[in-house]
Amino acid sequence: MEVFFDTYFDFSFMAEHFDEVLAGFWVTIKLSVVGGFFALIWGLMLSVLRQLPGKWLAPVRGLTIAYIDALRGIPLLLVILGLSAGLATLASEGTIPREIGIPQWFGESDPFWYGVIALTLTYGAYMAEVYRAGIEAVPRGQTEASRSLGMSHGQAMRFVIIPQAVRKVIPPLLNDFIALMKDTALISVLGLVETVQTGSDLYSEFFNPSGYTLGAFLFLIVTIPLARLVDWQIKKQDEKFQRGIP
Amino acid sequence: MLTVSGLKKSYGKLDVLKDINVEIGEGEVVCVIGPSGSGKSTMLRCLNMLELPDGGRIELHGKEVFGEGRPKGLDVLRREVGMVFQSFNLFPHMTARENVSIAQTKVRGRKKKEADSRSAELLAKVGLEEKLDEYPDRLSGGQQQRVAIARALAMDPEVMLFDEVTSALDPELVKGVLDVMKELAESGMTMVVVTHEMNFAREVSDRVIFMDQGYIVEEGKPEEVLGNPSQERTKKFLGLVLAR
Repeated sequence: MEVFFDTYFDFSFMAEHFDEVLAGFWVTIKLSVVGGFFALIWGLMLSVLRQLPGKWLAPVRGLTIAYIDALRGIPLLLVILGLSAGLATLASEGTIPREIGIPQWFGESDPFWYGVIALTLTYGAYMAEVYRAGIEAVPRGQTEASRSLGMSHGQAMRFVIIPQAVRKVIPPLLNDFIALMKDTALISVLGLVETVQTGSDLYSEFFNPSGYTLGAFLFLIVTIPLARLVDWQIKKQDEKFQRGIP
Repeated sequence: MLTVSGLKKSYGKLDVLKDINVEIGEGEVVCVIGPSGSGKSTMLRCLNMLELPDGGRIELHGKEVFGEGRPKGLDVLRREVGMVFQSFNLFPHMTARENVSIAQTKVRGRKKKEADSRSAELLAKVGLEEKLDEYPDRLSGGQQQRVAIARALAMDPEVMLFDEVTSALDPELVKGVLDVMKELAESGMTMVVVTHEMNFAREVSDRVIFMDQGYIVEEGKPEEVLGNPSQERTKKFLGLVLAR
């Protein structure tokens, strides 16, 4: 037991390297927030595309469903590696502009942006499913009432259905955000120095895994309150439901 | 003003509407009665195409809005035809006033202020002047249904459709809603009312239509259809309903 604590909970080592791990964690946070933001928007767009009405738009619906199925079924790591390799190759061949193939926007490195794009593509697909469940949970009568008042499909979605769906999807979206935040660790394969990579660097240099432990602590400081927030939101909705609100 | 001819609708093998021909005149109040499954709600929902008919024609003011198997000018039709549902279907994230205002601004293109004052006026008309800023979950079923009526009226429709609007209400709340509808009828609104309220049909309607198994079996003045029906099926239905 003593050995275990000495190995993983070397507090003096943690204190010594706190700044480095915190700097790595700051990259994790940035990646999560930027990736999460774009995934949120992309997911909403996908769910809207998926629910477009009429037979003329069936190909759009079909393509959207195919995209969502594909991205939900592929490991994020594969998306990260494939995307970065593909874009970098295309850029070096000159097929696409260098600024797009090797993005280094707003002073962030290209692994950071590959990570953002990969997270957006994959988590957008997950979130699209969450939105869809939210939209489908809005009673059909709401659409009928909107349409009977002369609203178009788009107006009914925008003013009536989506505002109600968004309330229902906050807890599952927060869950997805927690998962996304943890999955940012995968981007360390591209050499991005985030929390996990920082721990890894410290381990190779000092043979001390306490850097990992510190990283884990930092994750928990954010993820546990988020998980509690999810519970609280669900509880609040249940109470509303028990009062008889649809 | 609303002419329906040869209307057909089926779900798979089930023919819900077989051959519906009906003419609704301006200012007329028509009550549609019949056993459940007779197709009366489906007919009503076809009139503003919440259900797409499979065949037949619908004309509004002589202008074809459904024919040759497809709708024509759907948005125009829905704007001119108001509908009130059994389950109210108020928008739960909006106050009573916002419920009544939203389509006025987004569909009719009215200014928000104009829409809001019209909403206040209509909500007062249905006896809810004190509930303008309440959310639907704070209103009783009867109050919600009256908001729903005001919401449909706010579009200044030419015809109002009522789909069993009192069926989901507690008995003591029914009268308030029926009173509003009665007042509306007296003001000259054209109304098609699917209902189980035989007293309302008798007192308020100009014409009663009895439907069964996808057909209009009998129609005529309320005292004829309800008081002295000519068809066996109508007699049987009324016997069951009025015996209560």
